[in-house]
Amino acid sequence: MNLAEIPLFSMLKGRFGHLGERQRLISQNVANSDTPGFTPTDLQAYSFRAQMQAQNRPVTTQAVTQVGHMAPAARPNTTFRAIQTKDSETTLDGNSVVLEEEMMKMAEARMNYDAAISFYQKSLGMLRMASRAPGRG
Amino acid sequence: MADIKPMTGATQAIAATALRAQQARMRVIAENMANANSVSRQPGGDPYRRQVPVFTPIRTDGGQGVRVARVEPDRKDFRNVYDPGHPSADPAGYVKLPNVDTLVEALDMKEAQRAYEANLNVIETARSMEMRTLDILKK
Repeated sequence: MNLAEIPLFSMLKGRFGHLGERQRLISQNVANSDTPGFTPTDLQAYSFRAQMQAQNRPVTTQAVTQVGHMAPAARPNTTFRAIQTKDSETTLDGNSVVLEEEMMKMAEARMNYDAAISFYQKSLGMLRMASRAPGRG
Repeated sequence: MADIKPMTGATQAIAATALRAQQARMRVIAENMANANSVSRQPGGDPYRRQVPVFTPIRTDGGQGVRVARVEPDRKDFRNVYDPGHPSADPAGYVKLPNVDTLVEALDMKEAQRAYEANLNVIETARSMEMRTLDILKK
């Protein structure tokens, strides 16, 4: 059994990747909160539709027809695109990071992460329950 | 073989560069504060000139961190005070005082402190997310 093949788990995995990446971008913004001319970046919002489409689209790779051909490493079929998003104000030196907003975003990412982890745990628990013999704790 | 790294490693590395940069900024502020009254040793000479740190993004492990690129002198004019008895006074009796405004330095210090706290917050959050992930193993 491969957990990643179960759609729910693979979607949660994508969600973790998204949130981790978002966290990284936010830390980048916070680190550069005093750098002149810096524009903060953020990920595009996680959408269920895009995720489903990525799930259903088969990942095509080049066929290996000769011994010398190299098979490319499996590419994750979800890509997160970072976009430049200015916070509410830009200072005179061209920096548009507002620390408070970044902190809010970070708290949001963390809460979502916690929620996803709980969901993952619950689903694992269900699998475990299904694999246990009936009548046993 | 590829290293196995926690996802939050990059986050923490980026925040760590910022901590270092803010520390450097504090050092410059301390220098300015300490020399707020340092005048020239020669009569009529230039006193201490305020220093300003300039931040710039750098590439770190998997992201853009920050560092103090250089420390530049503040081009603002010196304060001129009439004090003929002062050992550093020029022939006309004026003494040049440093262009350091302690109020501005104090504000700058608060800002550095806030930025430092914000970055510590990032590290703390990244760490707790990682711990939460590891908690899956417990059950």
